[in-house]
Amino acid sequence: MPKKSEWTRRAVLRLAWVGIIAASALTIEPLVKYLTSKENRLQSPLVVYNKPLVENSDWQYTAKARVWVKQDSLGVMALVATCTHLGCEVHYYPEKKEWLCPCHASIYDVEGRPLSGPAVKALYRVAVERKPDGALIINSSKHVGMDARL
Amino acid sequence: MRGQKNFVNHIRPGFVPSRALSVLYTFCLGGLSFLAFVILGMTGLLLMFHYQPGESTGFSSILTIASVIPYGGVIRNLHYWAGQLMVVTVNLHMLRVVWTHAYKPPKQLNWLVGVALLILILFLDFTGYLLIGSQESGAAATVAVNIVGLIPGVGSGLAQMLFGEPSALSGSTLVVYVWHCVALPMVALLLQLYHFWRIRRDGGVRPL
Repeated sequence: MPKKSEWTRRAVLRLAWVGIIAASALTIEPLVKYLTSKENRLQSPLVVYNKPLVENSDWQYTAKARVWVKQDSLGVMALVATCTHLGCEVHYYPEKKEWLCPCHASIYDVEGRPLSGPAVKALYRVAVERKPDGALIINSSKHVGMDARL
Repeated sequence: MRGQKNFVNHIRPGFVPSRALSVLYTFCLGGLSFLAFVILGMTGLLLMFHYQPGESTGFSSILTIASVIPYGGVIRNLHYWAGQLMVVTVNLHMLRVVWTHAYKPPKQLNWLVGVALLILILFLDFTGYLLIGSQESGAAATVAVNIVGLIPGVGSGLAQMLFGEPSALSGSTLVVYVWHCVALPMVALLLQLYHFWRIRRDGGVRPL
């Protein structure tokens, strides 16, 4: 008499349940990360920056809404470090004087003009105003031209 | 036919005809459509936690989900491709039903339910396209509003009810959002449950 297989239909289905539960357990960590992400585009577009700016210094991060500021001989300018390709946050490398996007490797020069990669538009410059007490107010939703200065 | 006339118990019938086990007869296209629907429901629920409908917020929140939020790209792409798959499988499903004459009595009522589901799925697909909020979706919304607006008498009111007031630059509005995420899926789900029960009820049992 042939030996009866231990792989009954019931055993296979039970194994399938173990697989389903294991696969579900693996999705917990990604789900928690996804649901607890605090990225919110509806935050106020206004950024206040009240530290002193040195003329011809490098880009300074305002620590809010991806806005960076800089002052040259013509005045103060502000830039939003969002890649114009698909919206990732680009990183500034002061030693190379370049902006690099971590998602698809778009590279921008120090002024934010595209050098290589999929992005074809320059990083957005945004409007800067000065409050009476000297602090800068940057409206990160109001785009301005490359040579606009305060 | 124990358990086959009852709306709840039809999931576990007492027996199935052996012809119903042939995969090559139906290609399980209805089952594939339902699988896509379940995936769409789960990923859609997750997307609702981060998506913000509106002319200016729709597209930017899609970009945020796709490129900033952890695993957002996976969830968004699952939703997108399951949607594409479902439109393909429901159309093939309808062609199969025509090919095997499965619309004939006693299944004529289920055929009509299926046609209603096909229209619902296509409208779900279209509203999802509008919610992307890109310029293309704005153009699509403009065309749709104009077409619906041509209906004499009720046209402009119906267009307002179906699409709200989309701009030419973005089809994403709160009205479209509610249709896409709540109203249409609920109607589609209820019709689907009736559709599946009706298959057993009409004697055409073809489970997985």
